[in-house]
Amino acid sequence: MSNKVAIIASNGGLFDAYKVFNIATAAAASEKEVAIFFTFEGLNLIHKQAMQALPMPEGKEFMAEGFAKANVPNIPQLVEMALELGVKFIGCQMTMDVMGLTTADFVDGIEVGGAVTFLEFAKDAAPSLTF
Amino acid sequence: MIKADVQLDAKGLACPMPIVKTKKAMNGLEDGQVLEVIATDKGSKADLAAWAKTVGHQYIGTQEENDVLYHYIRKCDPGKSDAVENQFERTISNEEIVGRTGIILDVREAAEFAFGHIEGAKSMPMGELEARMKELDMDQEIYVICRTGTRSDMAAQQLADAGFTKVYNVLPGMTAWNGELTKNI
Repeated sequence: MSNKVAIIASNGGLFDAYKVFNIATAAAASEKEVAIFFTFEGLNLIHKQAMQALPMPEGKEFMAEGFAKANVPNIPQLVEMALELGVKFIGCQMTMDVMGLTTADFVDGIEVGGAVTFLEFAKDAAPSLTF
Repeated sequence: MIKADVQLDAKGLACPMPIVKTKKAMNGLEDGQVLEVIATDKGSKADLAAWAKTVGHQYIGTQEENDVLYHYIRKCDPGKSDAVENQFERTISNEEIVGRTGIILDVREAAEFAFGHIEGAKSMPMGELEARMKELDMDQEIYVICRTGTRSDMAAQQLADAGFTKVYNVLPGMTAWNGELTKNI
């Protein structure tokens, strides 16, 4: 049985962030080796400023109340927890170049790599997930 | 209340926090100890059972009271518990103890006993055996049982060393028990 979980985060909304980090922290807490490849808008999820206020999907703003009521941790908390549990964050070099971003724009502890870096990790991972 | 070695209050926390907290709390337990996780997240019941299965701990059960869930998980060191060979020579099968005179001594943890034991069995967790063995009658047959026969093997040996002569280790133990189960929950 594979002990790796590989995740691609390619969208930058609040819901995307929850999907990515909930699965990642749950997997890491279950003693899986987890790597997330952040590409395109997915980079927002670990961008120091952007991750503080990720947008809700249009028309779903009413759900903010539900999030508060359910006592769901906020995204920076989930990011911190994921890193603490040993989840590996890989930023997509190509997207960063296109957007003019450097590692200093992101939370500490990220690696930067290209598609092959992720593929190498994901080749024997199960499951591989894309959000 | 069911007795546990360590308690974790995860009330009010949403997924995946109960799991993350449980994992951290589990690091502080000794092999064989029981963790009680108190949670209000309804999903935690299925999640904790699945988590325990994935990482190799024993999910004992969940009790619900006024919308609060009390989960019990016993820490198992993978590769350790099953690797030990049983030493105690006098053994008896699950089936053979049915209807026999003597007492069934269940040496599993209190939480395991509470979630299902053989009717009439006496609970004496392994860790309490030495202090409590004086409660036992030396003239009676004693059938020592646990989950898989490992703890009962050690307990039977401990009783024999203390001078008990009519002691049996019941194999394979509660995991293979097909009869009725009594619960104290």
